[in-house]
Amino acid sequence: MRRLFVIVILIAGIVLTLSAQYQDRFKNTWIEPGSGVTLPEFDAFDSVDGTVGVLNASGPVSTEGNPFFTALGTNGRACVNCHQPTYGMSVSTSGLVERWRTTEGKDPVFAAFDGSNCPGLPQDQEKSHSLLLKRGLFRIPLSWPPKNADGSPKPVEFTIEVVRDPTGCNTSPQYGLKSADPTISVYRRPRPAANLKYVTSGGRPIVLKTGMLADLDPETGNPVGMNLMTDAREPSLKTQAVSAIMGHEQAHEAPSRQQIEKIVEFESQVYVAQQAHIFGGPLAVAGGPPALGVAALRDRKAGVLGDNDYDPVFGLFTAWKGNDYYRASVARGADIFMFRQFWLRDATHINSIGLGNPLKRTCATCHNAQMTGQDLSAGWVDVGTTNYPTWTDPSTESSELPVFKITCNRDADPHPYLGRVIYTTDPGRALISGRCVDVGSIVMQQLRGLSARAPYFANGSAKTLREVVDFYDRRFDMKLTDQEKEDLINFLGAL
Amino acid sequence: MRRFGLFILAAAAALGQQRNFVSCPIVRDTKTVPCFLAEYEGETYYLGIQQDITADFHPPQLKHEVLVEGRVKPGPRVCGGIPLQPVSISVLKEVNLACNTLLPPEPGIEAPPAPRGPGPSSRRPEGGPQAGSAPRQPLTGRQEFTVLYAFNDDYLEYAANQVVTEAAAYAKRIGASNVKVSGYRATSLLSNGDRLVEKAGLAEKRAQNIATVLRGLGVSRLVVESKSDAEPGDGQTDPSRRRVTIVVTP
Ligand code: HEC
Ligand code: HEC
Repeated sequence: MRRLFVIVILIAGIVLTLSAQYQDRFKNTWIEPGSGVTLPEFDAFDSVDGTVGVLNASGPVSTEGNPFFTALGTNGRACVNCHQPTYGMSVSTSGLVERWRTTEGKDPVFAAFDGSNCPGLPQDQEKSHSLLLKRGLFRIPLSWPPKNADGSPKPVEFTIEVVRDPTGCNTSPQYGLKSADPTISVYRRPRPAANLKYVTSGGRPIVLKTGMLADLDPETGNPVGMNLMTDAREPSLKTQAVSAIMGHEQAHEAPSRQQIEKIVEFESQVYVAQQAHIFGGPLAVAGGPPALGVAALRDRKAGVLGDNDYDPVFGLFTAWKGNDYYRASVARGADIFMFRQFWLRDATHINSIGLGNPLKRTCATCHNAQMTGQDLSAGWVDVGTTNYPTWTDPSTESSELPVFKITCNRDADPHPYLGRVIYTTDPGRALISGRCVDVGSIVMQQLRGLSARAPYFANGSAKTLREVVDFYDRRFDMKLTDQEKEDLINFLGAL
Repeated sequence: MRRFGLFILAAAAALGQQRNFVSCPIVRDTKTVPCFLAEYEGETYYLGIQQDITADFHPPQLKHEVLVEGRVKPGPRVCGGIPLQPVSISVLKEVNLACNTLLPPEPGIEAPPAPRGPGPSSRRPEGGPQAGSAPRQPLTGRQEFTVLYAFNDDYLEYAANQVVTEAAAYAKRIGASNVKVSGYRATSLLSNGDRLVEKAGLAEKRAQNIATVLRGLGVSRLVVESKSDAEPGDGQTDPSRRRVTIVVTP
C-alpha cells in the first residue's frame, strides 16, 4: 500500500515537472515583437512527433532592432508574429489557440484587420477569430479587379459573385466586393519564411504553364520564378516585405530601404527542417539520407529538378532501407512519393499543359524541385483544394469559408475541367491573372518543417498529415494501403 | 494529260490516307505508359503515348473532344489502333464530360517503347553536344521562324516557346533592322467534308502575344500584322497554317 502511494506520488511528480517544463518551453519560444532575444545559430523546438530545427546560417541573430522582429506598423505586429521559429517559420493552430488562451486574445497576431474573420466583428469574441483559431487562416484582402503596377485595372475574363459569406467580409459595405474599394477576402495559411533561396530560384523569361512572360523583379529587371505566395502575386522578397508591412502590420508609412534589406537578409539565411523524431532519433546523420535536416538545406543548390531516379527530390533513402522500423518506414514513404504511380487527373496546369489527361505519374511530377518539393516552374496548379466539388471542404451551404461564383466570359478559355461556371472558396492565381483557366490554381508550398506547422494546404483544410494523405488518396483514387499511408506520413513528417 | 491523271490519283490516295475528325479520345492503360487512341467511323486509331512536356507529341485530354488531323501509317497496329503519323492533336476547349473512357491494360496490347516511363525520369541531363553530331551552322541573313498552334489555341507550348526564344536571340545577335510578326488563323477540312474555322480575332491575338514575348525578350523594331480572314483548309496541311511567322531581317 505504501509502495503504491510512493509510486503515485512519483508519477504525479514526473507529470508535473514535465508539464511545467513544457509550459516554460512554450513561453520561451513564442517570440514577441521587440523582445530582444538572441537566436542561436541552431535551435530545435518540439513539434508533434519530434523536433524541428532552425538554423541561422550567418550565426546567432540578435533580434534587438531587427525589423523582422520589430513592430513597424500601427497594430503592434512584426513579421515574427506569424512566422515563428517554433512553428517552422509559420504558425500552427495549436500555437495560436495557446496564444489566445495566454493573452486572452490580446496578442497582436489576432489584430482585427486580418487576424479576425472581418475587422468589423466584435474582437473580444473567439468566434470572430474562428478561421484563425480553427484553421490557422489569416484574411488576405485583394483588390478586384486586380491592378497593374501603375494602378490601372487589369483586364479580366470573368465576373465574380459572393454566394456564401460566413465571415460577412465579402458582402460588407465597408470591406467587401461592393465597397468603395472593391475587395475580395480570401483566407490563407502563412507560408514558411525560411529556406527561401529555393522558393525564389528558377526565374525563366517565359512561364511554361502559360506561354507568357514571367513577372520581373522590379529592382533587377530579371524574370522571377513565380513561386512566392499562394497566387504568385509578389515578384520578390523585397516587394513581399513591403506589402506585409503595409498590410499585416498596417503601417501608414513605407518602410525604409535599410529595413527591407535587413528583413530579406534575415529571412534569406534561416533554414527550417524536421531535425529529429521521437522514436527515430536524429534525422540528419552521417551516411543517412542526404537531404534531411537544416544543414543540408543550407548547403545544397537551389533550382535543381528532382523528378528523376538518380538524384530525386529529397535525395536517396537507400541507407535507411531495411533499417529500424521508423527509418524503414520513412524510406518506403520516400519511394511512394517518388515512384508510386497513380492517375493524375483534371489538374489544371499539369494535365492541361501538354502532358495529357489523365497522366500516369507520381507525387514528384508536381512536387519536382529538389529539397523543397515545390514546382521548378511557376507553381500554380488546381489540385482540387478550393474549387467545388472540393475534395476537402463540405458543401457550399455549410462552408466555413466564403464561396464565390465565377462566370467566365464567352470569349475566354474556360476552366479546363469545370467549364464556365465555377464555385470556389479561393480563386487563387485567377485573382491576380484575371484568367478563367487559373481559377482554383494554388502555388504549392515548400514541403519542409511540416510537423511543426499544421494545418496544411493554403486554406488549412487538412488538419494533419494524415488528412493530407487521405485527400490525395480520395482525389486521385490512389488506393493506398494503411501501411503505405503510414509510410507517406512518416516521410512527410521527417522533412 | 496522263501525268495529270496520275497526279490526281496520287492526291486522291494521299487524301484517302488522311484522317481528320473530331471525337472523344480513348486512353488505354498498359504495363508502362498509357496509349491515346480515338475512334472514327468504326475504326480505332493510335495517336501516341504519354511522354514529357519536351516531346513532339502532346496527348489529348479526357473531358475534352480532340481534333485529330493525321495520316495513316502503313504497318502493324500499335496499342490496338491504326497508327496515324504525322498527327496533329488539338484539344477542344469546352468541357465534354462524355469523354471519359479509360481502358485497363490488356494482355497483348503494349505501348511502344517510351523515352520516359510513368515514374520519375531516368535520363541524366546531357553533357554538351553529342559526339559525332555535326555542329549547327549559325544562322545568317533573313530568317523566317514559324510558331505553330493547336486549333483555336494561342497557348505557346514548349516547342513554340523554343522557337520564339531562338528568333529573339537571332534578332538581337544580328541587330535586326526589322522583325515582322504575322498572325494567322486557319480552317480544318475534316474527312467528312465539314469545315472547322478558328475563331475570329485569333490571328491578332496570336500575333500580339508573340510580339509581347519578343519585346519582353529584348527585341525591338517589331512590325506586327495579322490576317483576319481564316486561311482555307485543304484537309492535308491545315495544321501548318495555324501559325505566327517571325521574319527577322538584318
Ligand atoms: C498576420 C500574419 C503575418 C504577418 C505579420 C506577416 N506574414 Fe508573411 N505571410 C502570412 C501569410 C498569411 C502568408 C501567405 C499569404 C498568401 O499566400 O497569400 C505569408 C507569406 C509570406 C511569405 C511567402 C513565402 C512563400 O513561400 O510563398 C514570406 C517570404 C513572408 N510571408 C514574409 C513575411 C515578412 C518578411 C513579414 C514582415 C514584414 C511577414 N511575412 C509578416 C502572414 C503574415
Ligand atoms: C497535380 C499536382 C500535385 C500532385 C500530383 C501532388 N500534389 Fe501535393 N500539392 C499540390 C498543390 C497545388 C498544393 C497546394 C494546394 C493548396 O495549398 O491548396 C500541394 C500541397 C501539398 C502539401 C501541403 C503543404 C503545405 O505546406 O500545406 C503536401 C504535404 C503535399 N502536397 C504532398 C503531396 C503528396 C504526398 C503527393 C502524392 C501523394 C502530392 N502532394 C501530389 C500539387 C500536387
